Amino acid sequence: MPIALDRRNLDTWQDPKATPYVRIERVSKRFGEHHAVEDLSLDIFKGEFFSLLGSSGCGKSTLLRMLAGLEYPTAGRIYIDGVDVTDVPPYSRPVNMMFQSYALFPHMTVAQNIEFGLKQERLGRGERAERVDEMLELLRIAELRRRKPEQLSGGQRQRVALARSLAKHPKLLLLDEPLGALDKRLRENTQFELVNLQERLGITFITVTHDQEEAMTMSTRIAVMDAGQIMQVDTPTAIYEYPSCRFVAEFIGSINQFEGKVVESDGDQLLIETRLGRPMRVRNFHPLALGTPVTLAVRPEKMRLCLDYREDGVNQLRGVVEDIAYLGDVSIYRLRVEGQRVEMTLTNTQPRTEQVLTWDQEVAIEWSPTSAVVLTE
Amino acid sequence: MRRRRWPLLSLLAFGYAFLYVPILLLIVYSFNESRLVTVWSGFSIKWYRELLHNQQLLEAAWLSVRIAAVNATLAVVLGTLAANALVRHGRFRGRNAFELLLTAPLVMPDVIIGLSMLLLFVAMQHGLGWPDGRGFTTIAIAHITFSTAYVAVVVRTRLAQMDASLEEAAMDLGARPLTVYLRITLPLIAPALLSGWLLAFTLSLDDLVIASFVSGPGSTTLPMVVYSSVRMGVSPQINALATLIVAVVTLAVIIAGVTSLRGSRTQRRR
Repeated sequence: MPIALDRRNLDTWQDPKATPYVRIERVSKRFGEHHAVEDLSLDIFKGEFFSLLGSSGCGKSTLLRMLAGLEYPTAGRIYIDGVDVTDVPPYSRPVNMMFQSYALFPHMTVAQNIEFGLKQERLGRGERAERVDEMLELLRIAELRRRKPEQLSGGQRQRVALARSLAKHPKLLLLDEPLGALDKRLRENTQFELVNLQERLGITFITVTHDQEEAMTMSTRIAVMDAGQIMQVDTPTAIYEYPSCRFVAEFIGSINQFEGKVVESDGDQLLIETRLGRPMRVRNFHPLALGTPVTLAVRPEKMRLCLDYREDGVNQLRGVVEDIAYLGDVSIYRLRVEGQRVEMTLTNTQPRTEQVLTWDQEVAIEWSPTSAVVLTE
Repeated sequence: MRRRRWPLLSLLAFGYAFLYVPILLLIVYSFNESRLVTVWSGFSIKWYRELLHNQQLLEAAWLSVRIAAVNATLAVVLGTLAANALVRHGRFRGRNAFELLLTAPLVMPDVIIGLSMLLLFVAMQHGLGWPDGRGFTTIAIAHITFSTAYVAVVVRTRLAQMDASLEEAAMDLGARPLTVYLRITLPLIAPALLSGWLLAFTLSLDDLVIASFVSGPGSTTLPMVVYSSVRMGVSPQINALATLIVAVVTLAVIIAGVTSLRGSRTQRRR
């Protein structure tokens, strides 16, 4: 999994007294019969790097465009910094957007592109030039100032688009798939740069992405969306470790799921009976009645080889290796356990040739009760 | 095996000949000394000299150019507005009808346009007292009605190809709709406006049928003069005039080509 960047002192959403910077209140958007966004409410706080994550057509872009004023909600209100902007046209909002296609004006140079928004603000010539220089410097593209967009590489265009959208010093920056058009290496570097930039400028960022790695690396919080609704809003860690429903669990990373029901409650732990044979032990914070149908979910990397297998061991199972996928840093093992398929990821601490696990080998595995989650929906 | 090239080359030669031999003949015979267009009797520029003294022909040419310029300019304005409505305003009520009615003049026979315009102008003169007689104004109006359709088609294509997020980005950066149109949209569709203008200009300069219907005494366009004088027997003056027009057009094309070539070269160098 990608490394989540360390973000200290950025948990305003946990402060009950904090007022949200962006408040989306029961917003719906319909295009004819199609419901792009459906009764959606969301609070985003000052200084956040917030990601809207979902597959294409889930309504995340429509939501972003409504924040920019490029679409108007069919129902509901949107507040930015306490002001109701629902009906405010895009040119009067304290918001700027970086478009997925970058939308650089092809008939203007890089400097003219950056200056465009400042001209609309009727800033004086001197101040405009100063601000353009500041942006060129901030994104380290001073040498490109006289170029036209067609003479730039993809990465350069992205920086120019970013410079242009930051030039007006917006309080809120919207980014539509900001790294979508870049190749993998460039994307990784740019991720860190975007986060540093955001922290330095203190601007609230809201980005739309379909790339979970990107969202995990950069965001303070993520909203996972599906079919015009938010499935879960939380920090990257919580989204990954404690998904609230099966959709989120499946959308982020891969996960083993076993259907079953609650058979015993023991303090903060539950015993779940599944088709894996013995009941499985799992930590759970929400009280669940006996007999409740649930899904037990375990991430592949939470499993480990079991060295002291016992018939009555906690969360211990026996299986056979069916498939091995070698990915370099890790290997994914597909096991068959009690007729069920189980995926396990192990770090390749030794060269592949030295490894002990091989096809058709019988193995014992286990996981800690705190490593699994119980999903009820 | 070596590919035989002569079949393709001769096909190309035939194609060029088909297009340009008539014009070449016209130019050659404009320097003919003889009064008979088909008999070569020696080089001379006397028809050019005579052309300069042919008041009727020159006046007709000047009238045609003025009509063409007015027509092209107004057709570009109207056609661009129509194209905007079609491309940028979504599925408004009556859009299909609008599209059909806008482009119908493209396939309407000139005779019908000319006759219907004539009837309209006569009726208007009776009812409103305007236009007072027929001439410059009526010909220009008639030309604008069909030129607009051509311009709309050209501009529409260009508008549809333009990335709509450019306009959104401009608005997002604080530009009001009018500013967006003037600073972003217009510069980007300018090539289409130019070719639309040239197309409308040529269509107007070229038109004989419609102009014949809606012109009045004292307003004879160049094609009308040429046509009527040819019926009396072709005068080599016409050849001379045609040669001059071809020369001007060629010059314009060369200048346009050179400027655009230079433009793209400097861009690449930077």
